[in-house]
Amino acid sequence: MRIRVFGSITFLSAALFGCGEGDPKTTAAPLAQPFADAKISSLGKQRWARTCAMCHVRGEGGAPKIGDAGAWSTRLAQGETLILEHTVNGFGNMPPLGYCMDCEREDLRAYIAFMAYGEGA
Amino acid sequence: MKRFSRRRLIAGAMFGGLLAGMTPRIGRTAEAAAVSDSLPWHNWSGGQSAQPTGRFAPETEQQLIDFLGRDSGPLRPVGSGHSFSGLVPTDGHLVVLDRLTGLRSHDPTTLEATLGAGIRLAETGPVLEGVGQGMFNLPDIDRQTLAGAISTATHGTGQSLNTLSAYVTALRLVTPAGQVLELDAAREPSLFAAAQVSLGALGFITEVRMRNRATYRLKRRNWIAPTEDVLKDFEAQARAHQHFEMFPLTHSEYASVQVIDDTDEPIYNPQPPPDQSDAFDELMRSLVSVPPAARRPIIDAAVAATPPAEPVVDVSYRILANVRNYRFNEMEYSVPLDAGAPCLREILRTIDEQQIDVVFPLEYRYVAGDDLWLSMFSGEPRASISVHHDARFDYRPYFDIVEPIFWKYGGRPHWGKLHTLKYAQLVKLYPKLKDFLEMREALDPTGRMLNPHLRALFGIAT
Repeated sequence: MRIRVFGSITFLSAALFGCGEGDPKTTAAPLAQPFADAKISSLGKQRWARTCAMCHVRGEGGAPKIGDAGAWSTRLAQGETLILEHTVNGFGNMPPLGYCMDCEREDLRAYIAFMAYGEGA
Repeated sequence: MKRFSRRRLIAGAMFGGLLAGMTPRIGRTAEAAAVSDSLPWHNWSGGQSAQPTGRFAPETEQQLIDFLGRDSGPLRPVGSGHSFSGLVPTDGHLVVLDRLTGLRSHDPTTLEATLGAGIRLAETGPVLEGVGQGMFNLPDIDRQTLAGAISTATHGTGQSLNTLSAYVTALRLVTPAGQVLELDAAREPSLFAAAQVSLGALGFITEVRMRNRATYRLKRRNWIAPTEDVLKDFEAQARAHQHFEMFPLTHSEYASVQVIDDTDEPIYNPQPPPDQSDAFDELMRSLVSVPPAARRPIIDAAVAATPPAEPVVDVSYRILANVRNYRFNEMEYSVPLDAGAPCLREILRTIDEQQIDVVFPLEYRYVAGDDLWLSMFSGEPRASISVHHDARFDYRPYFDIVEPIFWKYGGRPHWGKLHTLKYAQLVKLYPKLKDFLEMREALDPTGRMLNPHLRALFGIAT
């Protein structure tokens, strides 16, 4: 086994869940298809690529990867309200606003939909 | 061009005329950039929060100028929200520089490149590599914007390497009044030195010219060693290597050591799975439930059995910065080089003696001196010591115990990290702080860019 000395020790490994939101907890009533009405624009894709993509392409530390239906389904089951609350305020190792300092609610909804469903829900 | 000396700057009567002569005042035409009712804002660690009136994210410098002409309320710039201190929170507008990005120009002769100030450090690597350049150094985390990094004197490791701010050779600053200042050491040496580390208090940096190197490769090696052994040989090793630093483990006799040097070796940098968690991770995670006094034998036994990491070689930016997924809060001070080892020893001893419940390692490194007014390395090379704490827990009991140790050794706080110093202490640590504040007063006489944190740092009443 190759041991990542620096990565392991430096940040104490503790719960190295990366940019992920941590353990999903289904505390809100699930919606049929959360975020399904949100659409990403071409400008939105550029902003997504500079923010959310930093973790959600490689799945840093457990962040649900773009297009990983299984990983997203457990998040989507939490419902929009809770997912957005986690996204805006941060949760676990998910940074607040996902590094998108100029994002507003509709932007975040569109980026989540893009990662969960692709360009068309 | 007229010279923009501090004396002349402070003379209010000249202010409008001189600035107007430098850059024509732009009309207040409306534009389409985003101004909106806003979501709450939090920094990366979650330790700082605000409910801004709105966010404004200009896509061009002109949009920013127009906005400044329309709005008269409080303003704060925000990069990526990676400062742990209260530099950003405002109940006015957050000005997001994120869209002022990209490579604007480059010079293959001088190896300089001009970048949009909102570019993230992580983006600068590939962009500069594309034109045959690479930054001299990067901090451990590279998700900050360039403007945010230089405004807080963000730095990497290396006794011969400066803060990022010191590699800035020119910048464009839009004042709160909406005027553009083109600054460099030849034309405006005083204002330029102030603006290189400005805490976002002088205006909005929209463009930065950096002095770089030709693209280069680095080799990184990591291993575990007894902290005291590393410390005794630290000065020699710091001189012998481009980057030499250690991460002392708390409640342990050991430290993780990292050495990075130039190399011509072929690239070899296998990437572990991003969600990899190895046996050591699991062990360390389990320590959270172990009382601090009982951790030492467990940690020391584990690290003593840990082999050195495989050396890796890659283009500089892929070696210098690391992905830090695990959110934390941080305090960092620089102390004179000869105070570094005793200061670090006292901190580690205090953590042990007071059984402070922390499992995060510290970070210990040397950084070259510079002549920037508000750099924590102004005037001399210094040792930088960082302490971290899991963002899920209250950092204050830990940091409150450690911070006075930094003061005892002449510590200067990192502007982007947590500290409790106010103007009365800071003015003794930063001899140019008064000069800086005179510049600030001239550029922002109504204090639009001040927030409670900056007022405390600057000794300005509300």
